[in-house]
Amino acid sequence: MSNKLTGSVVVIGGGISGMLSALDLANSGYYVYLVEKGPSIGGVMAQLDKTFPTNDCAM
Amino acid sequence: MNVDLCVGCGACAEKCPGKFDDTYNAGLIKRTAIYVEYPQAVPLKYGINPDVCLKLTKDKCGNCQDVCPANAIDYTQTEETITINAGSIIFSPGFTAFNPSKFDNYNYAGFPNVVTSMEFERILSATGPTMGHVTTFPGLPLKPKKKKDKLLAEKRKDPKKIAWFQCVGSRDINKCDNPYCSSVCCMYAVKEAIIAKEHAGGDLDCSIFYMDMRTPGKDFEKYYQNAKEKHGINFIRSKVHSVTQNPDTNDLDIRYVDEMGQIIDDTYDMIVLSVGLEISEETKDLAQKLGIDLTPGGFCKTGSFEPVTSSRDGIFVSGVFNNPKDIPESVLDASAAASAAGDALSRARDTLTLELEKAKEINVAGERPRIGAFICDCGSNIKGVVDCEAVTQYARTLPYVEFADEAMYACSQDAQNKMVEYIKEKKLNRIVVAACTPKTHEPLFQETLSNAGLNKYLFEMTNIRNHNSWVHKNNPDIATQKAKDLVRMAVAKAALAEPLKEEKIDVNDSVVVIGGGLAGMASAKSLATQGYKTHIIEKKEKLGGEAHKLYKTAQGEDVQTHLDELIKEIEQNENITVHCNTSLESVDGFVGNFKSTLKTNGKELDLEYGVAVLATGAKAFVPDEYEYGKDDRIITSLDLDKMFKENDAGLDAINSAVFIQCVGSRQPDRPYCSRVCCTHSIDNAIELKERKPDMDVFIIYRDIRTYGEKELLYKKARELGVIFFRYDVDQKPEVSIKNDKLLIELIDHVLNQPIQIEADLLTLATAIVPRKDEKLANFFKVPLNDEGFFVEKHAKLGPAEFATDGVFLAGSGHYPKPVNEAITQGRASASRALTLLAKKDNLFTSGVVASADPLKCSECGVCVSICPYSAPGFMTDGRFEGKARVNAVLCKGCGLCVASCRSGALHLRGFDTSQIFSQIFALGEVV
Amino acid sequence: MADNDIKIVSFLCNWCSYGAADLAGVSRLEYPADIRVIRIPCSGRMSPKFILSALREGADAVWVSG
Repeated sequence: MSNKLTGSVVVIGGGISGMLSALDLANSGYYVYLVEKGPSIGGVMAQLDKTFPTNDCAM
Repeated sequence: MNVDLCVGCGACAEKCPGKFDDTYNAGLIKRTAIYVEYPQAVPLKYGINPDVCLKLTKDKCGNCQDVCPANAIDYTQTEETITINAGSIIFSPGFTAFNPSKFDNYNYAGFPNVVTSMEFERILSATGPTMGHVTTFPGLPLKPKKKKDKLLAEKRKDPKKIAWFQCVGSRDINKCDNPYCSSVCCMYAVKEAIIAKEHAGGDLDCSIFYMDMRTPGKDFEKYYQNAKEKHGINFIRSKVHSVTQNPDTNDLDIRYVDEMGQIIDDTYDMIVLSVGLEISEETKDLAQKLGIDLTPGGFCKTGSFEPVTSSRDGIFVSGVFNNPKDIPESVLDASAAASAAGDALSRARDTLTLELEKAKEINVAGERPRIGAFICDCGSNIKGVVDCEAVTQYARTLPYVEFADEAMYACSQDAQNKMVEYIKEKKLNRIVVAACTPKTHEPLFQETLSNAGLNKYLFEMTNIRNHNSWVHKNNPDIATQKAKDLVRMAVAKAALAEPLKEEKIDVNDSVVVIGGGLAGMASAKSLATQGYKTHIIEKKEKLGGEAHKLYKTAQGEDVQTHLDELIKEIEQNENITVHCNTSLESVDGFVGNFKSTLKTNGKELDLEYGVAVLATGAKAFVPDEYEYGKDDRIITSLDLDKMFKENDAGLDAINSAVFIQCVGSRQPDRPYCSRVCCTHSIDNAIELKERKPDMDVFIIYRDIRTYGEKELLYKKARELGVIFFRYDVDQKPEVSIKNDKLLIELIDHVLNQPIQIEADLLTLATAIVPRKDEKLANFFKVPLNDEGFFVEKHAKLGPAEFATDGVFLAGSGHYPKPVNEAITQGRASASRALTLLAKKDNLFTSGVVASADPLKCSECGVCVSICPYSAPGFMTDGRFEGKARVNAVLCKGCGLCVASCRSGALHLRGFDTSQIFSQIFALGEVV
Repeated sequence: MADNDIKIVSFLCNWCSYGAADLAGVSRLEYPADIRVIRIPCSGRMSPKFILSALREGADAVWVSG
């Protein structure tokens, strides 16, 4: 194994989990490539009407 | 599409004739071939579906290219292959909802009023096809054109009875191949039923047909009980056999067997199928390409002690692909995966990130305001309604306005460049932009100001699109007048804008982790690996916490071996200092600057640190029922683990073992589910059966809550011959000792007959109770809930941190959780803490904060008591001793203190009283 | 303010109601053009003085939402 590490991460999937992984890494000093198949990020959570427990809008 | 040019105006979609299923609305309606996923999509850029676009399929049309004001349409684009060199991969591909078309007994494909839960979610949504109105035939257009649709639409009504069928595509190997529990459907069905009732009014009848209600998440059980008691939702324990449709009304007749064995027929207006979560074939193929191992259910295989690490080095996983889970657990997975991916690359941290250059700030103090006003056309979005030229002319007449200009797209790069030039050339010292919403675009313009050397708070934005042209499109004259009013108000406010200073926050880059259990150790290990000095404070004599008492994980790993390894790693890590037998005596300070005194065996030590992780865990409840303590054959789950660990000889003598579930959980005095006990008892029952197959093993339960792939253990236990009896909380089993016989009596719910079991061993699955550490909560100013668990920042999006900046949360102090979830949360808290520590040299407060004028302060203390963030305090020394002072680091800029100050001593920078008055007065001026 | 039209001064919280007004636009809803929005950082910022002053300046109604 080469001794040189690359300080970047590829995150595959722009749903709630992928987006937050990307944000955490970018804010911690790593370069992030966020790859999403669809035209926009947000995933299934953006489709939900409201979420427990406060029944807040999921947007 | 050239996404760099697209401005998201939507002119193209208005003229597009192509149509296909709108997946965002679960296929209930159609969308155009050129489309944006939904109006709030990020990025708000249109895309073309090449399969249905007339231009791309038949070389006809081309409307979108004709109408696009930004020249963003490019039909010649083709697929590109891009190669990326990266250090780690996080794979979070998500799930697809189960397609119930093949369930012929529910006839989803044939009956228009049988819908999936995803479709129902869109029906409830205000942005959905029915705009939140719950109606039958949701798939029909609002104004149908086809004759067949018109006939159906006549029967459309507001449903009076809706049923939810649980476990469609989950816990089922007959009609599909999904043996696992999807974990989320019980909760979303309860939520949908509550919201449906809210939308439809009181007389809507909602029934949920289920096998076990699985609400093991934080506050989930209370939500479920509320649904039953407060909202009147019916819960029926039954799997519905079949659905038929009344051909005249399209109402749905169902037949099921209730708990007493009676066959019941009933009619509903609508049926919602609570579809499970599945990993798509596409994802499985990609996983194979990546070379990572999957479980039989198609989820990623991960271990309990490295719960986000795949079988392949350097690939980490999160979300539903790493086992079915709800939003908060996906959020924890996300941060945990970031922590794991970062740990692997810690030596290369900060090597590829870019540093932004900053222009030197021009001093504008004492200068007369010279305002530049920029009016945006937003293509035709604003200009199509508002006479932007007239508004620009008008802006030039306003006081202090030196310069006004109209821009086709004020947010475009060339307009930004021009703005910088104008600021320099005309010596502008305040900027007003009349365009879209500051909520998305203020930061962009503020950056432009900074680039031109202006303080970014010398800026005011007013919304003449969302609040004007888009909502008054049929009244262009009135909209133009309104735009002028809004510009005048913004100019008046901008004239009073002052350059604001963002205070630098010094961050001490060492960390304190309170609690040396699994979660605390996982957190400390990650932070230390990424280079931060970490102190673990443990009150007991050794690390490890409650995990010392566990035998095996749900995945069968030996806990003690892994625990010993982890403890050894922690003790050998040179960035970690372990303080055992230590208590925390005091906490002062705030984010980046905490100070504490520790006490170890009577000796005191002072410590300074920047962030704290609270990982104090929870403990097992000591039962006060079922004759516990009166007979040594009656033990708790942890006692049984101890017997397994020690290979207790007494185990051989047992011929009949009984488990009673929910001991101390899910009852009025402790209304939460302890999450881990069902799996724990089933695990132990399997262990007993495997050691001695002819042993009689009984589990007496209320609902079996083996969420996710833990369901496979439940299945295995039944296959091994473990017998399950259900009881109700108001009819608990009775335990007695008669003539040295240990007897358990209960009413069997199938036979409705009393049953007596003689046991050699009775294991009570006891609740997990919080430590309710009020002292610690007060130290860090973090809240505890009614039960005594810590309250996180946000139930969904902030589960590993507190609302108090710089304080993070992990482990069972948040809520009971098994080994893998405790470690996930430990890692997640580390990742969240890391984002703060990484800003060491450029962490600033906002400029929009409150400040106090000591000369006016009357020392009444209202601001101190009213602030939810403890930002105002009294000065303790100096000339103004006793007067209020606001700590800018803690202030969130809400202005509550400013409004409450009766002396007028408090000011909110950026939203000062004079500025708000100026807007009101500007409005009052006769036009 | 002109005498012939109604004016409603609305104080909208940046985090909720202001965003809701944005969304009304995104969804292309239509409503009468009588409101003038003043963005505030939180409805806790509201002071009775703002309401009185708006009324004195001729507003027909004041709407605080947060």
